[in-house]
This record gives sequence, structure tokens and C-alpha cells, in this order.
Amino acid sequence: MRPSEIKILQEQHRGRILPVVPMILVGMGTCGIGNGADAVYARIMRQISEDGIECKLKQTGCFGFCAEEPVVMLYRPGAPMLVYSKVNEKDAARIVESIGKDRIYRNKLLCRIDKWDFLTSKVEFGQGYAELPHWDEIPFFKGQQKVVLRHAGLIDPEEILDYIAVGGYNALARVLSTVEPADVVNEVIESKLRGRGGAGFPTGVKWGIMQKQESGQKYIICNADEGDPGAYMNRNEIESDPHMLIEGMLIGAYAMGADSGIAYVRAEYPLAVKRLKRAIQQAGDLGLLGENILGSGLNFRLDVVEGAGAFVCGEETALIASIEGKAGRPTPRPPYPASRGLYGKPTNINNVETWCNVPVIMEKGSAWFKAIGTEKSAGTKVFSLVGKVKNTGLVELPLGSRLEQFVFSIGGGTGTSRRVKAVQTGGPSGGCIPLAHFSTPVDYESLNGIGAIMGSGGMVVMDQDNCMVDVARYFLEFNAGESCGKCTPCREGLAQALAILTRITRGQGTIVDLAMLELLGGVIKDSSLCALGQTAPNPVTTTLKYFRHEYEEHIREKRCHAGTCESLFPALCENSCPLHMDIPGYIELIKEERWEDAFELTLRDNPLPGTLGRICHFHCQMRCRRDMLDQPVSQGEIHRYLADTIYQLGKEEDIYRKLIKEKLPPTGKRVAIVGAGPAGLTAAFYLVRLGHDVTVYDAMPEAGGILRYGIPQYRLPQELLQKEIKMIGRLGVKFKMNRRLGGNLSLDELKKESDAIFLAIGAWKDVALNIPGEHAKGVFAGSDVLKEMSMGKIPQIGQQIVIVGAGNVAVDASRSLLRLGKEVILVYRREKKDMPANAVEMSEAEEEQIKFRFLSAPHEIVADSSGFVRALRIEKMRPGDIDRSGRRNPVSTGLFEEVPCDSVILAIGERVSSEELAESMSLTGDGRIAVDRFTFRTSDPAIYAGGDAVSGPATAAEAMGMAKRAVAAIDKVLMNKERFHLLSREFHYGNEVPQNPKASPKNVARRLSVRDRVNNFNEISFGFTGEQARNEVERCLRCDVRCQ
Amino acid sequence: METLINTPLAGEILDEIIEKHRGKPGMLLTTLEEAQEKNPLKYLPGETLVEVSGKLNIPYTQVYSVATFYSYFNLTPQGKHTVVVCRGTACHTKGSKGLLDDVTALLGIRRDVDGADSSFTTSDNLFTVRTVACFGQCAQSPVVEVDGVIHSNVNAQKLLKIMSRIKNGKTEKK
Repeated sequence: MRPSEIKILQEQHRGRILPVVPMILVGMGTCGIGNGADAVYARIMRQISEDGIECKLKQTGCFGFCAEEPVVMLYRPGAPMLVYSKVNEKDAARIVESIGKDRIYRNKLLCRIDKWDFLTSKVEFGQGYAELPHWDEIPFFKGQQKVVLRHAGLIDPEEILDYIAVGGYNALARVLSTVEPADVVNEVIESKLRGRGGAGFPTGVKWGIMQKQESGQKYIICNADEGDPGAYMNRNEIESDPHMLIEGMLIGAYAMGADSGIAYVRAEYPLAVKRLKRAIQQAGDLGLLGENILGSGLNFRLDVVEGAGAFVCGEETALIASIEGKAGRPTPRPPYPASRGLYGKPTNINNVETWCNVPVIMEKGSAWFKAIGTEKSAGTKVFSLVGKVKNTGLVELPLGSRLEQFVFSIGGGTGTSRRVKAVQTGGPSGGCIPLAHFSTPVDYESLNGIGAIMGSGGMVVMDQDNCMVDVARYFLEFNAGESCGKCTPCREGLAQALAILTRITRGQGTIVDLAMLELLGGVIKDSSLCALGQTAPNPVTTTLKYFRHEYEEHIREKRCHAGTCESLFPALCENSCPLHMDIPGYIELIKEERWEDAFELTLRDNPLPGTLGRICHFHCQMRCRRDMLDQPVSQGEIHRYLADTIYQLGKEEDIYRKLIKEKLPPTGKRVAIVGAGPAGLTAAFYLVRLGHDVTVYDAMPEAGGILRYGIPQYRLPQELLQKEIKMIGRLGVKFKMNRRLGGNLSLDELKKESDAIFLAIGAWKDVALNIPGEHAKGVFAGSDVLKEMSMGKIPQIGQQIVIVGAGNVAVDASRSLLRLGKEVILVYRREKKDMPANAVEMSEAEEEQIKFRFLSAPHEIVADSSGFVRALRIEKMRPGDIDRSGRRNPVSTGLFEEVPCDSVILAIGERVSSEELAESMSLTGDGRIAVDRFTFRTSDPAIYAGGDAVSGPATAAEAMGMAKRAVAAIDKVLMNKERFHLLSREFHYGNEVPQNPKASPKNVARRLSVRDRVNNFNEISFGFTGEQARNEVERCLRCDVRCQ
Repeated sequence: METLINTPLAGEILDEIIEKHRGKPGMLLTTLEEAQEKNPLKYLPGETLVEVSGKLNIPYTQVYSVATFYSYFNLTPQGKHTVVVCRGTACHTKGSKGLLDDVTALLGIRRDVDGADSSFTTSDNLFTVRTVACFGQCAQSPVVEVDGVIHSNVNAQKLLKIMSRIKNGKTEKK
């Protein structure tokens, strides 16, 4: 065949791309088939013949949006291509049926394609359906630039004529007939193309070295060993467009003077191997492979060799050894393959994607190519975006795009309520990048700068339920297993590092281990023979750098907060509970009808059982395994029922007396606690039982903190709270109320009289909104309003109230004011699903018909001539891109509205009121008290702190959990030994695991109807009945039971 | 229960494979791969290795080195059904370790948690459980391949269904 005939073939077969009859394309990559695309294809074929419709059916490769497979495209002449996603057989039949009709099938429609640029040609399908988004408008594809993936999903990879019809092999024809080999090399050098396998060596330079070798036998190799777990770009490139690879290698062979090429494809990619072999066959049949190609005198044969499951064979010298029939062990370089490679001859190895860029560079020119991307990293790169991300798939973006674009704009965040924690890039040679660094551009250099690498393009997104220590261990296990064993640093070093990490995940680690890991990592990196060893420590070094606190938690607290390392926690519920209550324990004791024991068990871990049973956020339920079967177990309600029942029967007396008797002998140490909220009360409860002399100071008249003055009675009746606080008093805790720090309470005085001070002052200062009109009359702070109402006063507030905010304070305030007969509107700048308030509260508020205005940002408080509030001016917002919190950023629309009102309540967040402390200790930027993570010491060694004052607004359980840990730390310092465990005792109970749990919904407590509750503050929830409680405990799966 | 007979490949079949690949790049790898595939028990018996060594004129130690270096090659007979659990990063992130624990427990295989073995066959030779570093199907993690058919988004429930289907005699179609 002559070069000019390619052009003729292209025109002749244009009809394959733009036929005169309708055509259906079905994505048949491995993931498509894995999701049922083959069944869909068969169904379409059957339907077409049954209905007798004239329609072509074509299998294609993968369009890239793997989360939406199977993908089916429908083309009708003159109309845009319609793209359907997650197509099942029923949809398939409907799509075929719609061909003859006027109306298109609307279900499962993803987008349309009006025109497409194949880079080697352009095609226009048609105009219309403007109401459907264009493919590059949907979040997953927006911003992508398809260079390497220009044909994927739109042509049949098993038909060479499809490839030619879109302009394929034109570049080859032109090169062979009009361009000198040396000029080809220059063009590639000019384009600044760099190796896409990960090392990023300038491709043109590599080619130049080969080209200059004296003629004789030369080889070119395509490295398709893609061993990085999590990366599958190369697989898709070969499965969807094998001719692109062949054309690239042909051009390379011509430029470098090689006559033999080998594609080394890993055995785990059988479809890619099959399609490549078939493509080679077809190319040979057309005279594009073999002898005297296109009459140019070029001889080139291409063989396929399958790898056999050795990750190290991705390294070029190991790959060569593998082809030569030896074990894949790397050899030192120099000599480089370009001078002495396969069978001792000059060899050029490039990654699949590198080869695939070559035809485009020759077609469009180096100037076009290097205009994409950055100065040092030209062109695009294909990435596999997988893991805990909503839109998984293959993403092709110009190099230099930022990580956040990948994860949030294209990926859509996690898609669940969990937050993104890190992205792992570069496979086992790469690193874990934390959220804080997501504005880093993705290219060869920038990621190196933060200790990670771009690698071959794998991007695995991880959320808060992934343990980074486990991730490091996972990669070490992989690398240690794949090590060829030749050099000692890699073989022995990785084995030792793995042993250390394994011990850490089992709770047997020490702080010395971290130093050892860093030392080992350095040695292995510096002295390994090949890149596998040299980069193997990266996952460990990056996680140590960015997630050191997780390692320390595993070592010092013997806890895995993510809930992955199973040796470090009995059950996910217990692990997630900030107080680490032994939940399976008390559930089992209830099952055995041992109510007092159950209560005693909860009390030892939680001094406010009735209170928390009502108001907790129930972190336990968020991780309950039962959720996989039907719904989480309602641990909270069980917990509340237990406390209520014990109190009703008066049985708590005995248990408290027991605790009083058990108090450790007086230590003679005096501890002052400032703050009688959840954290302060908890600290008091444990410190007094440890034998210390405890005094609690608080600025308010009564104890309870936010529990007393922030939470409305319909959620938490005051009598219950007071009862539980009184019990703490009976243990011997002294309370001194109405004492305020900076006023009639001096820190210095306290220091003189105490051996230790614990600050638990909470976060009570409302954040200012900083909008004009904030000082008008009739503007209130949310927590002030709640405080007043909790003290039995009716706030001097108007009748038409607008509340700005979306947290618990805002919702509590709105529901309380509703009960006073006020008209309440709650205004929030984001959407309902983004509200941080408790979900139960939200649904109850909706039932009570609180009015909400979402996507409305407060702009100005409008006052009348006498300075009183008359309206809140809001700006309508629209949801923008997803930000780091995983929520959509509200974007101004420029449209305003005035909401008439006579009072405005600001409840957009709270801060710690820490001005008095600023001189005595270090504070964080936003006013929180800075403490050591494990000792809870402030910058003044005699003063400790915990609760919201340290963390910022959090849940009551979290504040209490922190206080508990702080007490253990304080006691250890005061008494010089670990004594905290002396406050618990062992409980013995049965350990039977339910054998065949049947799905059963969780029990739901009865609540007051809306009518019966909107005009009073009576407690809304009745809690469980006895029967409900007994049923609910049977639902527990006893995940804590281990076999020996 | 079937009794398995240890059969190395018949001479002519092996010869055919060897001649097909003789002289091509990577001939040893490709020969061994095809020889294993054509063996009904999907493994490479010692006799096969010896024959390959002799016919290709490659020292036996080198053939043995290659057969033991690459994880793809099995030197022991494989079970009638193969379950491959992917242990790639995306799959691991989504809990494939738990799946591996579950499937081995289901089949009554006792696994050394940190043992070097990555392949386990039940004593009745019905099932072999092995792992693969990555199938390249990361968008559908966790991935489990059973008898050559890839299953995506596998969780414990789905796995149970697949395993019981096989145990009840319904084989997976390729």
C-alpha cells in the first residue's frame, strides 16, 4: 500500500463514523463487561433483528466514566450523539425502540455530543437537545482534554478501518514519506514530551541517543506492565485504541532505526492482550507491519509478550531480563538500554502512554503539544481516579492541574457524608497527600516538592475511615512481596520495616519504632539498586510526615481512630464513641437482664448516662456494622432506657454508694476545675474517684454548662441533668458557682492553691457576622437567647424573628422561640443537606414547620429610622464547586431579597472566650487553648485544658472523652504512675454471636405529636418501652467477639 | 468428589506450544504461560519444566528460577474453582482485606495472617483462593474474579451469594 492510500481509505470508510443509518455504540472495556455490557450488547443485537430496524451496532472501548458503566451511545444521522449511562437490558431495548420514533428515550441519559475532535480529524454529529448537557459540561468531564483518549469509546478497537476512518495512520504515512528520522526525533524533543511511566525522562532525548547508535539490530519496547495497584490507564489505552500504540511505535521504529518491537503486557490484562494481538494482525494484513511498510523501505514486526505477575518487571532492565527468559531482576545502569539492552542490542523502552502521544505530536506539531500543560511538563496525562470518590474513572487533564480539581470538581468528593482525608498518588512508589496540600499542581516536579510523586497516574482517594498507618503497611507489604530479592537494602530493609509497621498496627509499637522507620527508609532509599527499592519507603515517609499523629495514636493510645487496625479496638461502636463506652458489654448485660450491672458498666465510662442517652450525636451508630444488613442498632436509645429505668427503680443509689466506697485513698493533691460543663463534670467525676481533692468553679449560678444553658428542655429536662450532677457532688466534688475567670476568679490564685488546674471553659462567644447593621437594636446572639430561656426568662425579643445559622444553636433557638409563639425563619447560605445540625433535630424542626430559606446569605441588617431592625437583606446563592469540606461552595448570584422581621438572631458559630487567658498561655489563631495532644498540658505546665475550649465547638461526648483522657494524664503526673485503669472493673458476660440475623428495622421511640409539643417545652421523646429495648438489644451482632 | 490425577501435559501438546514460540522474544515466558493454561489442573508439573528446559536448550535452573520468580506460575495443582481476590490499592481502600478473610474462612482454609503464601487450596481440591496485586478494575472496587469472571463492587453479602452458587454446582460461564 502506498502512503496516499491511507487518505483514500479514510474517506472511503467515513461512513463507519458517520453512517447514513442510525448506529449504537456499546462500551466494551473490561469494566464495562464487568458491569454487564456484554449482556446489554447481546440484548441490543436481538432487539434490532426482532424489530427489523436498520441500525448498526458497534462495540467500542471505554469512554472513561467507569462509575457509570455500561455506557451506550446512540447516533442518528443529523442529531447529536446521545450518551446513556448505567444501561441495563431493559434500557437497551427501549433505546433501540426509540430509533424509529419521534421521542427519544429519556431515562439514563447522561449527556450529548454535538461534535468531536479526534485530533487527526474532526466530526460533527448534529445540533439539538440543548436541554441536555454537552459531554464537557458534566462535572466529570468538565475541564478534561482528550488527547491520548481521543478515540476511546467512539471507535471499534477491533476494527482497523475505524481507526483509519478517523484519520489514524495518516501521521505515519506523512512521516514515512516526507520526514527524515532525525527530524522526527527533533520534533519529539521540541514537544517536550516526557516519559509517562513515571520517571519523566525527556522522551526525545532518549530517542536521540538510540538514533545515534550505529545501525544494526535495534529493539523498541512498549512497557505495558502497569503494575501500580490502582492504575489502569494503560489497560484502557490498549483496550480502547490499540492502533494508537502501534502507530506510535511504528513512528518510533522509523525514527530510531529499529526493526523489531515488543509490547510487554501484564498477564492480568487478557482483553488488552487479545485486542492488541488482533490489531497487530489487522495492521499486518494491510501492510502496515512487516516488510517495506507503505513502500518506504521500513521493516518492522511487533510481538506481544505477556508478563507473569511481577511488579518489578515494570523496571526497564528487569523487563528486558524477563523477555530474555530470566527472572526479572534489575541490573545496574549504566549501561543503559539505549546502548546495551535486549539481547545486548540498543533498546528503547517507553510506557504505553508515551508511545500514544507520538502520532498526535507528529500530526499537530510540537508547538501545539507543548502549549498544553506547564513549562516543564508539557501535554496531558491520563489519571485513574478511584477509591472513596463519587465519580470514579479515567481523567485526562493538562499537566499542572491542581489536585482539588481532580478530587472535588471532577470526582465530586466522596459522595457520602465522610470527609476526604488524603489522596494517594504514584502507586506503591508514591505518597499520601493530605487535604491541606490539595492546591498542589499535578506534574512531575510539584508533587516531588511535597514528598510524593505523580508516578504513572494512579490517584486513590481516602476518607476519614482509612487508617494511614494501615495504608503505609499495605504498601510496604506489597513492595516487600514484589522485591526481586537481589539487593540487601530492599530485600532485608523492607522486611524489617514491614515487621515494625505490623507491630504498630497490633498495638505493640514504641516511639523508638518511628525513628527506626525513618532511618531505615533513608538507607533503603539511598542504597537500593533499582527504583522499586528506592521509592518503596515513600508511602511510609509521607505518612510519617503528614499523619504522624495517627502513628502516635497507635503507639501511645493503642487506638486506631479510623477503625481499621482490628487489634486496637474491640468493636467499631466502642471505637467511635469518644468516651469508649463498652457498648457490646452493656448490651449483652441487658440481654441477660442484669440491669444494675449494665448501668454500672455505663456509669464507669460515662458520668452522665441519662443526659447523653438523650442528646448525644451517637457516633457509635454511624459505624455500626448492622447497617450493612438493615439499620444501625439504636445504642443511644438503649443507653437512655437503661438509665431511665434504673433511676425510676431508685437502683442508682447502691451503685453510687459502691463508687463512693471504691474511691482511691486521699492523695492530698488539690485540683481546680474551671467550667462545670460536660468536660468539667467528667473531669471532676474521675479525679475525685482517684482520691484527689476537687473543686469546680463556674461563672453561672448552676452547673451543667451548655447542657444546662444551651440545650432546650424538650431535648433534655433539667431535673434529669440536675440529678446526675448531684450524684457527682455526692462523690465529694465541691462546687463554687458564680465565679468568673478574669472577674472574681483569678488564675494566679488558683495556681497557688492547687496542684493542677483543668480549664474546661467551653466555647460561648458567638462569632460576629460582620455585615452592615449588625449593631441595630433587635440583634441578638443565639447562645444568649438560649441562656436566657434556660433560666426561665422570656427574652425581650420581637415577634417576627430571622435566625442566621445552621448548627445546633440556630436550630435549638428557632424551635424554642417557636414554642413561645414567635414566627421564626431560619436563613442559611448553603443547602439543607449541608447543615451541621443534628439530623434528628432537623427532621423534628421540619415537622414543627420551622420555615427555612436555603442558599440565602445574610447581606445587611436593615434598620428603620429609629434604629430598630425592620428586615434582613439576603443574597440568593447558587451551589458552586465542591470545596474541601466536601460541600458545594455558595456562589453569589447578585439577586437580593428583603426578609421583613423585627429581630435578628446570629448563630453562625461559637468561639472560645479566651481574652483573659491570652497572657497566661498559648492560644491558637482562633482563640482556642493550645495543648499537647497527649498530655493535655497548656504552655503553663501546671494548667491543663480540654473540651470545646481546646477543640472548638464539638459534641458533648467529644468534650467528655477528652476530659477523661486528660484526667488520666493529670493523674499520671501527680502520682507518677498509671492509675486510671483502677477505676474500672471486669464484667463477665456471655459471648454468643447471633447466628443467622434476619433483617429487622430498628425500634423507634414514641414521640410527642407536633400538635402536642409546639407550644410547650415538654420532653419530646418518650424513649423506648421495655419491649422495644429488649427487641433492640437482640439486634446487636456482637462484633466484639473474637475467635481464638 | 473427584479424584484428581496428576497429569503433566501430553508430549505432542507441549511440543506444539514450544515450536509455536521458538525463537520469538520472550519465548520462555510465553511457553510456560501457555503450558500452564493448557494443563487441566492449571499448573506446571516438574516434568513439564524439565521437558521445556531440554527442548529449548535452557538450563533447568534458569527455567526453575523463572517458574518460581513469577507469581503467575503455579507449581502445585489448582482447585477446580479459582477465586481471586484483588488486593490493589483501590480495592484495599474499600475493604478487600476483609473479603479475603471472609472467603478463606468460608472455605475453611486456615491462613497465617502474615504468612508468605498467597495461594490456598482446599483439601478437597475444589477451590483455590489466591490474590492478585491489581486487576486494573479499580473503578469497581472491591473486585473478585471467580473462574475467570470478574465481579465488581463485591461486599460480604455478594460474595456469599457467589460462593453458594458455585457450591451448588452452578458453574460460572466464561
